[in-house]
Amino acid sequence: MLIATNSLFALLQDFVLSMWDMFKLHILSLLLYTGGVFRRQLLYAGLAVQSVYLLSRGLELHRLPLVGAHDTLAFVAASAAAFAIPFGMALGWDAKYQKGAALFAAAFTLFSMFSKQHNIPLPPVLKTLWFELHVVTAFLSYALFGIATVLGIIYLIEKIEKNEALQYKAILIGYCLFSASMIFGGVWAYLAWGTYWLWTPKELWTSILWLFYSLYLHARLRPWWAGRPSAILGIVGFVVVMFTYLGVSLLMKSSHSF
Amino acid sequence: MTVLKYITDILFSIRTTIWSLWFLIAMLLAGAVVMPAKEEFQTIHSMPLFDWLSEQSFIITWWLWASIAVLILLALNTLLCSVQSVLKKRGVSNLLLILSPQIIHAAFLLMLLAHLLSSSGGFKEIIAAGEGAAFQLNKDGVVLVIERIEISADPAGYMSDWGVDIVYTSGGKQIKRDRIMPNRPSLYEDFNINVKDLRAFPQKAALVQISREPGALWALAGGVLFMLGIMTLVILRVKTSRD
Repeated sequence: MLIATNSLFALLQDFVLSMWDMFKLHILSLLLYTGGVFRRQLLYAGLAVQSVYLLSRGLELHRLPLVGAHDTLAFVAASAAAFAIPFGMALGWDAKYQKGAALFAAAFTLFSMFSKQHNIPLPPVLKTLWFELHVVTAFLSYALFGIATVLGIIYLIEKIEKNEALQYKAILIGYCLFSASMIFGGVWAYLAWGTYWLWTPKELWTSILWLFYSLYLHARLRPWWAGRPSAILGIVGFVVVMFTYLGVSLLMKSSHSF
Repeated sequence: MTVLKYITDILFSIRTTIWSLWFLIAMLLAGAVVMPAKEEFQTIHSMPLFDWLSEQSFIITWWLWASIAVLILLALNTLLCSVQSVLKKRGVSNLLLILSPQIIHAAFLLMLLAHLLSSSGGFKEIIAAGEGAAFQLNKDGVVLVIERIEISADPAGYMSDWGVDIVYTSGGKQIKRDRIMPNRPSLYEDFNINVKDLRAFPQKAALVQISREPGALWALAGGVLFMLGIMTLVILRVKTSRD
């Protein structure tokens, strides 16, 4: 009995230590992103370290680490840092943009560190490619909407047309991915629950978010909305993103609760 | 004549699109507040939406009725603006750039059609059944028999997999044999038979759901078309700005 207890304790100790080793990478990526506010290379390094962290989480769990607030927040941070690169290059690495993108990635990494890890095995219904496609495209779109917000804020400060044009592009690509996520979710729901649509708070907020960015894309075609108003609309869209992502999942009972 | 012109001006205007979208967002926001607060919404999935709406008080469903009304206006507006856009811009050099938004609009209309069909002609029934249970599936006398329920658990006790073997019979003869698994329903005619929940103790039992979604294929067609349109638009927009 004592031997069994000891070996169980040793196993537990190994597990905690390996988790701590992995978590150190998470802390390091936070520090690097924070440094990325001042030096672009540190933003790249933060992305590399966080990618290793996410990879190690995936290897540990034997699945995509995209369940629960901890992993998804880290994934959004890494995706935003990755998307920040092409947009940064198009802008010639504007100092304010670099600061904004690095702060965005650092903030999401920090929130992730204070969120609970989901380490238990997935229920059978989540073991499908449709679920993986659904969540990957959703979180990539959230990251793009985040980068669009950074670009929108910089446009309001600097009033350089290129920033607004890039904000539009980030939103358009994000909208494409978000729409794909909704379609993959619909296919998955039909296979898992026999219906492609459920009236739950999450689905309602997802529709609100999709309609909001549809509104942005249409409003931008009108002269009155061009420039500052559409940039503001793009920024407000991210508030809806945050509520759909975290607010609904944490505050309301739904199939998407954390 | 002036009234008719006023109406056509409204239906053909992108300003109508923008105002309709604002209004629709406002209604869904109201719904997001009303829905979790009213327990009547617990039964919304038990029957087609229009049947459910006819049974409920307008006090709690006004936002859904208003959303449906604005969706009708938006559908008309989408259809007319798309036709007008294609007719106006015929012969322009970058045809794909003109067509891709209209493909997206057509996909949106297909999705609305899908919801309309499912909301009016959908069907759902949930039955708790053990091994050996049988129930009639349709008016032609097809019977669904739950033959075997298998549940596997990992060493920690979490359910790791499951499978339910079923047999369709008619007049005592077996017509089809199938196995329902996670994310793999049994499809028979236009019925989707899936398992919502399982119990291992004291006796194996499954919560079997029989549903029919007449809009499912339209929704899928809309989804595929939407992705084709939006991906074309994204590629062309990125390419145009590089040129």
